[in-house]
Amino acid sequence: MGIHQVSIRAARRAGILLLLCLTAAASPALRAEDGPLVLGIFPRYNATETTTRYTPIADYLQQRLHRKVTLLTSKDFQSFWRGIEERRYDIVQYNQYHYIRSAKTYQVIAHNKEFGKSTMAGALYVRKDSGITDLKQLRGRTVLFGGGEDAMISYIVPMYMMLQAGLKKDEIKSEFAVTPINSVIGVYNKLAEAAGSADNALGQPVIRNAIDTDQLTALAVSEQLLQLPWAVKRTTPTKLREAIQAALVNLEGTEAGRNILKTALLTGIGKAQDRDYDPHRKMVRAVTGGSD
Amino acid sequence: MRLGLSAKFTITVLVILLCTMAANTLYFLGTSTRLHEQQLLERGRALGRLVSLISPEAILGFDFLLLNDYTREVCSQPDVAYGAILTPQGVPISHHVDTSDPYIRKRARQGGSVEITELIKKREGVEDLIRLDFPITHNNVLLGHFLVGISRESMQSQLQRQVVIQAVVTSAIVLFLSAAIYGAFRFNVLFPIRRLISASREVGRGRFTAVEVKTADELGQLAQAFNAMAQEVKEEQAKLHRQANFDVLTGLPNRMMAFDRINLEIHRARRTGQRFAVLFIDLDNFKSVNDTLGHAFGDELLAAIGARLQESLREADTVARLGGDEFLILVPDVVGEVEVEKIAERLLQSVSEPRDLNGRKVVIHCSVGIAIYPDNGENVETLMANADNAMYQAKALQEGSAIFFTEEMNVRLRERMQMEQDLNVAIELGQLALHFQPIVDTAGPRHRGAEALIRWHRPEKGLVSPADFIPLAEATGQIVGIGDWVLEQACRCWRGWHDAGLNPGFLAINVSRIQFRKRFSRRLAELMTAYRIPAHALEFEITESVLLDDHHQVAEELASLRALGVKLALDDFGTGYSSLSYLKRFRFDVLKIDRSFVAGLPRNPDDVSLVKAILAMAKGLDLRVLAEGVEHHAQLDFLAAQGCDFAQGYLIARPMSEDAYRAFLKERQTKGDASNLTFIHHARTNTGRGTV
Repeated sequence: MGIHQVSIRAARRAGILLLLCLTAAASPALRAEDGPLVLGIFPRYNATETTTRYTPIADYLQQRLHRKVTLLTSKDFQSFWRGIEERRYDIVQYNQYHYIRSAKTYQVIAHNKEFGKSTMAGALYVRKDSGITDLKQLRGRTVLFGGGEDAMISYIVPMYMMLQAGLKKDEIKSEFAVTPINSVIGVYNKLAEAAGSADNALGQPVIRNAIDTDQLTALAVSEQLLQLPWAVKRTTPTKLREAIQAALVNLEGTEAGRNILKTALLTGIGKAQDRDYDPHRKMVRAVTGGSD
Repeated sequence: MRLGLSAKFTITVLVILLCTMAANTLYFLGTSTRLHEQQLLERGRALGRLVSLISPEAILGFDFLLLNDYTREVCSQPDVAYGAILTPQGVPISHHVDTSDPYIRKRARQGGSVEITELIKKREGVEDLIRLDFPITHNNVLLGHFLVGISRESMQSQLQRQVVIQAVVTSAIVLFLSAAIYGAFRFNVLFPIRRLISASREVGRGRFTAVEVKTADELGQLAQAFNAMAQEVKEEQAKLHRQANFDVLTGLPNRMMAFDRINLEIHRARRTGQRFAVLFIDLDNFKSVNDTLGHAFGDELLAAIGARLQESLREADTVARLGGDEFLILVPDVVGEVEVEKIAERLLQSVSEPRDLNGRKVVIHCSVGIAIYPDNGENVETLMANADNAMYQAKALQEGSAIFFTEEMNVRLRERMQMEQDLNVAIELGQLALHFQPIVDTAGPRHRGAEALIRWHRPEKGLVSPADFIPLAEATGQIVGIGDWVLEQACRCWRGWHDAGLNPGFLAINVSRIQFRKRFSRRLAELMTAYRIPAHALEFEITESVLLDDHHQVAEELASLRALGVKLALDDFGTGYSSLSYLKRFRFDVLKIDRSFVAGLPRNPDDVSLVKAILAMAKGLDLRVLAEGVEHHAQLDFLAAQGCDFAQGYLIARPMSEDAYRAFLKERQTKGDASNLTFIHHARTNTGRGTV
């Protein structure tokens, strides 16, 4: 190979590199100078724990998107929801009900995988010694739900199942524990006859450490529903949306990514689109009376 | 078991320390228990208040996990056995137990599911638990109860550990303090006391060692006092030793020391086979010196003689004063009797040398008795006795002489002792008898009375002369009993004769100086009363030797006799001191001229002059005179011519027995004085004259 040929090849490579750099600099989604992206996480955990668990993801996204990503926590669901309504979050993770309600302004791009599953179901638990074997027996009984009325898996889905069984909302006495896990513990402690929670509640270590789960049984379990959604503003540029989606989905592919997911108590993040949440919409409509 | 001072002290200290430390430990443990209990309560209350304060929100929110966190956190606190949150109905909604709690661990090991309420109830049944119950309220609405159980187990185990530690520490302190106190006691008290004990034992053994005084405290003062006492004891012992072994007056060894020296010499002589001599020295008539020149003078004389004796002897010889005027000389390493004889002569000469004492020239002699070891005795007692015996023989033989002991002396001594023993029972056995020798006027053969004379009929020995046994009786003190017997017999006889209608006249009775000292007048008064004897019927003859004794006592006794009305006669006048001062000082009725002056009458011009002088003096002093020992008519005629009042002797009548004298009196009364005073009276022959 002659010196002339080497010089031509080097010049060509330099030209390609320059072109790529100019292209990158021209892309608005990936430019750091476009301002920080706000990552909102619904207050499933308290603010401290949320920060601890999700800061690695925020840092990861910042690294991948070349834009500053700021994690914004909320002290409660009200303030979080206000942030949704005020569209303060560029990227947000919340529950299925939240997404259904904010679907006009936010677009789902991914969903959580927990315990290796992309889906989960709602369930109603009773004590084995309660004598309740049918949903209809819950009429007039106290049912302790986890979270509040906007809790998809631990309220809307169990309520949907009771409605489907022919019960009416006012025929049961609804109580709300701060978390679905606490609702299960409440039933165990005989403070209610049934608890609304996720189908994997009894398998969770936190519950197994707190109570004797053998004393409980699932009275009813719903169909499998896609896990919690990740959404971006509908105004998010496509490239950025796709970059975010890719970044999240790709976490599962590397060791570092899996560690980040593990910190957030997740086993992976998969792609999702709006129609994946239609089953959820049906249940929400039935429980809340038709509005999304 | 005898406990020493140190053991007693140590036990006392140990007991005190143990009691003190035990009381202190108990107090500490009691206080500590109360404090711990208080702390547990405070901690339980603090936990309870906190949980009851923060729990309402979690209860209202059914946040059981948070409640679990609370109860778990509570249980993670030390000493918390369990924490439980119950509904008002008593349903537990959150609880946690301390799995390290022994009771709960035991229940856990037993297996099976136990309701928490049941477990708590059973756990509360165990005494070591403090159960606290805090209501959980919100807006005055009871939401539940928070139960917390505080275990005393760790407190108790901690207290047990503390007890063990405290016991170990206490024991260590007690031991250390005891050891320290014992050490201090031993060093500061015991050692000085032991030194004192050791020194006391040394003093007891006669070795005087001063105790070192190291401190100024009480023990130091005790040591000082002990030293002072030991010094005083030492001096006193030396003084006692001197007093016990040396004569205070002469500074010479005394009898005891003399005995020791002779003993030592005996031991030495036994080893060496040598001989030694013991010389007994008694000053002749030393009593007269004392009596005439006073005891102080006598003492000076004794001291001077002691010194003179010491000067006359070798250093190896021992001069000792045995007492009174007796000295002993121990002469070791004697070769022959000639050597001893020379020494004795030197001593006699030395003692006899005239000496000036208080301006008076004094000449005194001594008698020496010599005993040789082993010829005259092999022990101290024998040697001393034999030397003493020899000395008496020398004195008896010739005053101012020295005599070696012989076995014959012992024979005589034994005889004397036998006589002394026989004399003891002579009165009881009726061996003594009174004889009476008539006394008449010299002017005409008129009977006046008689002198009572004692006789001793000794079985197998015959009649013993008073000259033989009276001195012995005086020397042994038997004279008192004998004299009393004589007095009573005389009174009895006189009363008998008088009651028989006879006229016995007066009875002259001799009184010994020994007898005179024993309140003679009192006994006489008793007998005069008992036998109704008139005073004129008795006359007492005393010798000048009686007057030599204590003048005051003699004067008193003579005055008492005179108060009784009896007559007093001075016996043997002219043989002794014949002191005119006695005649002046003591009033006598009669002077008795000794037979030795009468014997030479009327041919011996000296006796004639002397008798004339006595008679003249008696006339001048208005005294009656009695001459004894009149045996010839010439003597009687001379005496009558010279104005002598009374006569007594063989010429007139020999001494006669009581019965004979009774017959004599009866005959005289019947036939008149002339009938039996023909100077050839039939009285029995007698070998001597009575002196009692």
